[in-house]
Amino acid sequence: MQWVETEEVVRFNEVDEWGMAWYGHYMAWFEIGRMSLLKRFDLLPAQMVELGYIAPVVSLKCDFKHSATCGDRIIIRTTVVKPEIAALKFKFEIFLKENRTLLAHGETTQVLLTTKRKMIYRLTGELESRINNLVSYCLEE
Amino acid sequence: MEEIVNNFESLREFLKKMIVDILNLEDVTVQEIDNDSPLFREGLGLDSIDALELVVAIEKTFNIIIADEDVGKKAFASINALAGFIQEGHKQG
Repeated sequence: MQWVETEEVVRFNEVDEWGMAWYGHYMAWFEIGRMSLLKRFDLLPAQMVELGYIAPVVSLKCDFKHSATCGDRIIIRTTVVKPEIAALKFKFEIFLKENRTLLAHGETTQVLLTTKRKMIYRLTGELESRINNLVSYCLEE
Repeated sequence: MEEIVNNFESLREFLKKMIVDILNLEDVTVQEIDNDSPLFREGLGLDSIDALELVVAIEKTFNIIIADEDVGKKAFASINALAGFIQEGHKQG
């Protein structure tokens, strides 16, 4: 399985009263990982809109394993799972860069709608081909 | 399968069992699924991912395609509607 890695730093405004990275920011880091993967396959949100689709998240899961603090460099790893259905399922892992301590792992599921907000049940055309490229890349050994 | 599809009653029972099995509905039994209630939201309470799972199961089992929400709204209106939709698609296929 191929993962795309993105590096970020935990900023002052991202830590809570206890000096730990606030849990909600992990979702924003997932988003950074998602964008860097989607960009490689011309599937950024604006590019999907050009094709006539949007992909809202309908499910989100995150397990927190270790805390990070202000100034920590983190690595966001992102991949997609082979979809059995017409949806996009991403997996994420966030590590401390310094010693590869796992901070959190999670996943999101997105369904696909036309820009007129009609849900599609099957992938077709250019959207299908770009998503297939993304999935094949992520499934490579 | 041919026999099941051609008999409306057995097709409905087959679909109810398929819904419970495929979607791992733990709180719903086959007997509890009403023939006329909507499968989504106010009815059986299925969600968008459930719809996608059902679409794949129906395509694999009956070789009938439900392409999008417009078709889905009709097909998933109730068990009766779904059974009718499959019988119709089967005749055409």
